[in-house]
Amino acid sequence: MRILIIEDDALVADGMRRGLSQVGFAVDHVPSAELAEAALQQENFDLLLVDLGLPGVDGFELVRRLRRGGKSTPVLIVTARDALADRVGALDLGADDYLVKPFALPELAARCRALIRRSKSNSDSGITIGPLHLDIPRRETRVQSRAVDLTRREWAILECLALHAGQVVSKDRLQQAISSWDEGITTNAVEVYISRLRGKLGDDVAIRTVRGLGYRLDESVA
Amino acid sequence: MNRASAQRARGMTIRRRLLLILIGPLALLLAIGVVLDYAAGVVPLRAAFDQALINETLAAAAQLRARSGGTVEFDLPPQAIEMLRADKYDTVYYLVLGPHDEYVAGDEGLPSAAPDHENPTFLDAQFKGSAIRGVTYRHAMPAGVVTITVAETTNKRDQAWHRMLISILLTDTLQFAAILLLIWVGVRLGLRPLIALRAQIDSRSAQDLAPLDETHVPGEVRPLTQALNRLFATVRSNAQSQQQFLANAAHQLRTPLAGLQTQLELLRHDTDAAGVRERLIALLEGTRRLSHTANQLLALARAEPTATAAADFGDVDLRELAEEAVAKHFDRALRQHIDLGVEAARARARGSAWLLREMLANLVDNALAYTPADGRVTVRCGVTADAPAQGYVEVEDDGPGIPPDQRARVTARFYRPPGTSGDGCGLGLAIVDEIVRGHHATLEIGSGANDRGTRVRVTFPAA
Repeated sequence: MRILIIEDDALVADGMRRGLSQVGFAVDHVPSAELAEAALQQENFDLLLVDLGLPGVDGFELVRRLRRGGKSTPVLIVTARDALADRVGALDLGADDYLVKPFALPELAARCRALIRRSKSNSDSGITIGPLHLDIPRRETRVQSRAVDLTRREWAILECLALHAGQVVSKDRLQQAISSWDEGITTNAVEVYISRLRGKLGDDVAIRTVRGLGYRLDESVA
Repeated sequence: MNRASAQRARGMTIRRRLLLILIGPLALLLAIGVVLDYAAGVVPLRAAFDQALINETLAAAAQLRARSGGTVEFDLPPQAIEMLRADKYDTVYYLVLGPHDEYVAGDEGLPSAAPDHENPTFLDAQFKGSAIRGVTYRHAMPAGVVTITVAETTNKRDQAWHRMLISILLTDTLQFAAILLLIWVGVRLGLRPLIALRAQIDSRSAQDLAPLDETHVPGEVRPLTQALNRLFATVRSNAQSQQQFLANAAHQLRTPLAGLQTQLELLRHDTDAAGVRERLIALLEGTRRLSHTANQLLALARAEPTATAAADFGDVDLRELAEEAVAKHFDRALRQHIDLGVEAARARARGSAWLLREMLANLVDNALAYTPADGRVTVRCGVTADAPAQGYVEVEDDGPGIPPDQRARVTARFYRPPGTSGDGCGLGLAIVDEIVRGHHATLEIGSGANDRGTRVRVTFPAA
C-alpha cells in the first residue's frame, strides 16, 4: 500500500514516514503541493496524507484540484488546524477524513488502513481486518486460515460491520442490513445474531458492544 | 422625587413622555378656551335679553299720561299689563314712580336703579327672594321725571348661561379628547420605525454580529444605529483576528509537538536499552500532557465569547453529539475497562456544533479520568419534562464524585480538586463552563444515581 505524505514540517513528515513504514506501508514524502502534483502525475498512490498549512498552494487548494481533475485517491487531512471551518471545508472539498496534530502513531496507522480499506472494498473482492477476511463476491468468511460458515443474516451483519471497521455501527443500521429479507426484525434479533457471530468467529475477532449505540468491529484485540 | 421614581422617569417610553408633556398644557388650553368661549357667548346673549327688557320699558313708558295737577297716570289696559307680565320662564315686575318718587303703579318695593349718566340704567338686585335683572328708565314729562322700572327674575338668563356653558364644555372636551387621540395615534405612527428597530434588535441572537438594517431607521436614531453597527463591525473583526491568531497559535504549537511526539514514539520502539526506554516513555508522557494542555488552552480561548461571536450558531442535534462523543471516547474507555454508553432521546438545541462537541468531549474526558476501572460512564440527552421543554445533555459516572463544597470551584481555570491524580490540566470544566455561558445554558454539577459518582448536566434555553 503506497502512501504519499504532503507535509512541509520535516520533523513531523519524518516521524509519519518512519512510523507508517514500520507497520508495512510504502511511504513517499514531498514538502509542497506543487511537488505532490508532479508525483501524482507519474505514480499511483493508495492514500494521500495532506497538511492544510502548506507553503504556496495550500492543502485545501490541492484537494480541490485533485478532485476537480477526477482523482479519487482517498485523502486524509493531517493538520494542526482544528477550527470547524477548516474541518468542514476540507471534508466538503472531498477529503475523506481529518486528523488533528498531534496524534499518536497507532491512530494514524489505523485511520490510514481504514481509509484504504474503504476505498478498496467497493471494487475489490475482499476485506481484511486483522485475522478476519471476508471474500465479498463468494460470501466466504475466514479467521486466519479457518473457514467460518455463516447464515445470510449473520453474513449481512458482519459485512456491514467490516465495511465500517473501527467505527461504531448503530443497531438500527444493522437491523436495516438484515430487514430486506424479513420484515419485523427487532433490534433484539440483532443482539442474537451478534452473539452468534461472536461465538462462531472466536476470541481473535473483537465485536465490541457500545452501550446504547451499537457495535464496533475492531482491527486488533487490544 | 425619590430615586425609584427618578429611575422610572428616565426609563419612561418616548410615547408616555410625549403624552405626559403635552397633557398639562393641553388641559390649560382647554380651560382658557372654555372661559373665552363663555365670555364671548355671554356678552351678546345678555345684550339681547337686556334689549328686550328696554323694549318693554319703553313700551310701558309710552302709556304714561300727565294729568292736570302735576300727577302722572299710568294708563295701561289690563290686557297690556298681562302682556307685559307674560313670560314663560320668568316673573316680570314693574314699578312706576312719579316725579316725587310717589307710587303710581306696579309692584311696590321693586328696587330702581340709582340715577346714572346713562338712561336707561340697568340694575341687578334681589326682590321677593329671587335675583332680578331690571332696567330703569327716567322719562321726562311736563310734570317732571317719571321713573319706570321693569325687572324680571333671571331664570331665562341662568338657563341660557347654563346651556351655553354645557355646550362649550362639551365641544371643548370633545376637541381635547380628539387632540389627545390624534397625538397618541401620531406618536404611535411616528415611533413605528423606532419600534421596528427595537423588534429588529430584540430578535437577534446574542451572537449575531451582522449590521442592523438601516433603510427604515429615522434620521434621529441613525447615529445610534451607525454607532452600533460600527461596534458590531469592530467586535466582528476582533473575533476574526482572534480566530486567526488562535489558528496560527494552534499551528505553531501543534506542529512541533506532533513532530516531537511521533519521533519519541518511534524512538521508544527502536530502543532496546531498558533505562533509555523508560525515560523515553516518561518524555512521551510529558509531551502528551503538554499537547493536551495546549489543546485545552486553545479550546478555552476559542470558547470565549469574544471569539465565539463569529462562530456560526445553528440547530444542533444533541443526540448525534452524544453518540459521537461516546464513539470517540470508546477506545479510551475500553483501555480503562470502563463501560461507556449512551442513553439518548431526541433532543435539539441552538448552538455551535463545534463548541458543543468540544464541551461534551471535555465532560466525557473528565468522567473517564475520575472513574476507576470497571466503572460506568453514561452520556444522556433528552428534553426536560417542564414546559417549555428544554434540551439537555448530561454525563454521569459512578466514580468518587465531587464533594458538594467543591462543586462551585471546579469550573475555575486550572483548579484541580485536592487529592486528584490523573493527567488533567484543570481546564476541562472551565472550557465547559465557558461554552455553557456562551450558549446561555445552565450547568449543574451533582451526584449520580443513588448519590454516587458525579452527574454534570447542561440544560439549554427553550427554543
